[in-house]
Amino acid sequence: MRRDTGCNAIDHAISRRAMLAGSAAATAVGVAGKVLPAETKQLATQQKRILQVFLQGGVSQLESWDPKPGTRYGGPFRAIDTSVPGIRISELLPHIAQRMHHLSIVRSINIKTNSHQQGHVFMERGRRAGVFPYIGTVAAKYLAPKTASLPGFMHITTRGLNDNTNAFLPAEFAQLKLPGAAAPENLKHSGKLTADAAKRRNELRRRLSQRFSGKVGQPAFTDSYDSSYTLADKLLAKKGLFEGDPPPKELERYGSHPFGRNCIVARKLLEAGSTCVKVTHHGYDTHAENFNFHLEQLAEFDKTFCMLLDDLHDSGMLESTLVLIMSEFGRTPKINQRYGRDHWGTAWSMALGGCGIKPGAVVGMTNEEGTAVAEREVDGRHLFHTYFRALGLDTTDHHDIPGRAIPIGDPTGEAIGELLA
Amino acid sequence: MSNAINSDEPAPPALPEDAPLPIDARKTHVAAEFKHDFPLTTCRIDPTGRFVFAGAEDLNVYRWSLTEKKEGDKPVAKTTFAGHESWVRSMDFSPDGQWLYTGGYDDHIGIWRADDAQPKPVKMVEAHKGWVRWVRVSPDGQLLASCGNDNLVKVWKLPDFELVQQFEGHKRYPYAVDFHPDGKRIASFDLMGVLKEWDMETGKELRSMEAKFMWGFDLKFRADMGGARDLRFSPDGKTLAVAGLTEVTNAFAGVHKPMILLVDWDAGKHRQKLKVDSYKGMAWGVRFHPEGFLVAVGAPQGGASGALWFWKPGEEKPFHTVKLSHCGRAVDLTPDATKLTIAQFDGKLTVYQMTEKTAS
Repeated sequence: MRRDTGCNAIDHAISRRAMLAGSAAATAVGVAGKVLPAETKQLATQQKRILQVFLQGGVSQLESWDPKPGTRYGGPFRAIDTSVPGIRISELLPHIAQRMHHLSIVRSINIKTNSHQQGHVFMERGRRAGVFPYIGTVAAKYLAPKTASLPGFMHITTRGLNDNTNAFLPAEFAQLKLPGAAAPENLKHSGKLTADAAKRRNELRRRLSQRFSGKVGQPAFTDSYDSSYTLADKLLAKKGLFEGDPPPKELERYGSHPFGRNCIVARKLLEAGSTCVKVTHHGYDTHAENFNFHLEQLAEFDKTFCMLLDDLHDSGMLESTLVLIMSEFGRTPKINQRYGRDHWGTAWSMALGGCGIKPGAVVGMTNEEGTAVAEREVDGRHLFHTYFRALGLDTTDHHDIPGRAIPIGDPTGEAIGELLA
Repeated sequence: MSNAINSDEPAPPALPEDAPLPIDARKTHVAAEFKHDFPLTTCRIDPTGRFVFAGAEDLNVYRWSLTEKKEGDKPVAKTTFAGHESWVRSMDFSPDGQWLYTGGYDDHIGIWRADDAQPKPVKMVEAHKGWVRWVRVSPDGQLLASCGNDNLVKVWKLPDFELVQQFEGHKRYPYAVDFHPDGKRIASFDLMGVLKEWDMETGKELRSMEAKFMWGFDLKFRADMGGARDLRFSPDGKTLAVAGLTEVTNAFAGVHKPMILLVDWDAGKHRQKLKVDSYKGMAWGVRFHPEGFLVAVGAPQGGASGALWFWKPGEEKPFHTVKLSHCGRAVDLTPDATKLTIAQFDGKLTVYQMTEKTAS
């Protein structure tokens, strides 16, 4: 049964096109004639973007950003100095330690849930409940230039939650999931279909879609159908990004493992103009052997991520790229009988840097044993506002949805001012 | 040994009154219990039988006397060996029991006087780049072998700790090492279930064997799980026992079964795979009892039902099992083999006696 959206696509043709454009000028046609803040105008001339590294399963804060060596639940790893005097992180992140001056840490996240699903969507949507667009979708909608030649939100992951990333926003801003560094399957035209014939066929399909959309009044479904072709076309035009093996020197730097290859592709996508690239690194849900697994996983993450960070910095892109290293939650301070740590949304950490973020800062703290937030408690709401404020988007503004005005960020939260440059 | 259950056998002759009680694993009972307020990581009894040592998750090693008489409710004194900056999972001694060697996850091997009243490390040697996972002293006490997260097996000359051999060949972390009783060869076992034999004289790898069933690749999480949690040659050198896991179905939740692998060392073949089908978890320790049976401890995947198993080689099932108060993480025998100690997750270091209970 199809949902009755209660409105005709033609009624909103202009505003929908405006959304598709994703430019500051387009989004200026806002709710009740409200003009978005001046910062967003800058986005039309200087693209900003997001690199989101998602450590799937819940990286341990004690083995990464908030080590507590020698305490009851500190575990076996030591803390090391970083390039920022006074900031110490786990010895499992030696490469990041040398680049700490590019990043900041939030050590006081409490999302009040230990569920993978709830934690993930809270951290992505900036809302504890309800269906709202993910970080990447919001970025794709508001930060991608009108002429963007790549899908706005691309997620490189071998697996993960299949979720409604675009929520009520058009499907063209939804996550496009890439299963790895290789080109997506079925990217080539089938059989003997020439590029010209494919173009004409697509044009016919588009016209039929328009007619169908107008008559039946199912804009969401038609949009979704249309955007799958639009995204595929964009990807097809950029298929060169996925072709050929990376040069040996790059593989040596990034690592020849899947995460290394995925990060090389992530860099290429960002360089080619993608607005949000999310790379998921799996393997942190360590209910057993937490220490052996973090030893392996973080060694892979640390070096590879730093190569990507270096490349963004060296190319001058870091200033306009917001870098997020996040999970759905952290891990329990208490070490269980399997040498594991379990789900823990009560007091954990993430790191971020780049565009609009004050580098070398630490926000918040946990108590001595890491069992509770001691200062400056924040959650997904505050972080969501912070990301987009850093990128110049006014998160107190609204999504322009036909018949509705939905705040971009949760109105009950606000940005973490100490982190904003 | 008195574990035979054949009722047709003649009754054993009566023992003189002052004779030690015969070993009977089925009569195993708690003889003493020492309590610490952090989970324990390992335990060892020194060769003189005076002390038991345990590593703990608070980074220290602790010593309790096994000979001190307990007075009333007063606990037996505990002596702290502080010096490591990380957990100690492996320890060994000089043959005379005067020296204690501790392998730490802080990359260091600690050298201590075992009976110091106020212990301090005599020396801390940076032995590996990455965790020191195992230390083992040679039968003649002249050498110490170690392995660590740099994938190396190293041999050090004692007492000055001069590096005399370095074996390269493991592609993933070697978890444990042991000297063959002839002192000329070393065995090491790594994360991937690869067992190597090294020649002390030439510094060369003699052979490599696989026990892939003691390793698992978790397809969902794309991670390897395996390795030896204990490794021990039989006194005659004919058998190597490896304690660990098998049948990994979910590495990140610790869903696997414990396994003790017995390797026929001369033939280089797996002699027996000892497991308890009804038990999910890990085998953390194994010892050859001089009376011919094996002692092993395990920790379950969930719950607190740690187990102490007694196995006769050749038999599929343990002939006796003792339920522990919590997960067992290591086991060791006293020099006279009448007692054993178990380090547990709940901080208890329990001494079990493998004889009939006595009135005292």
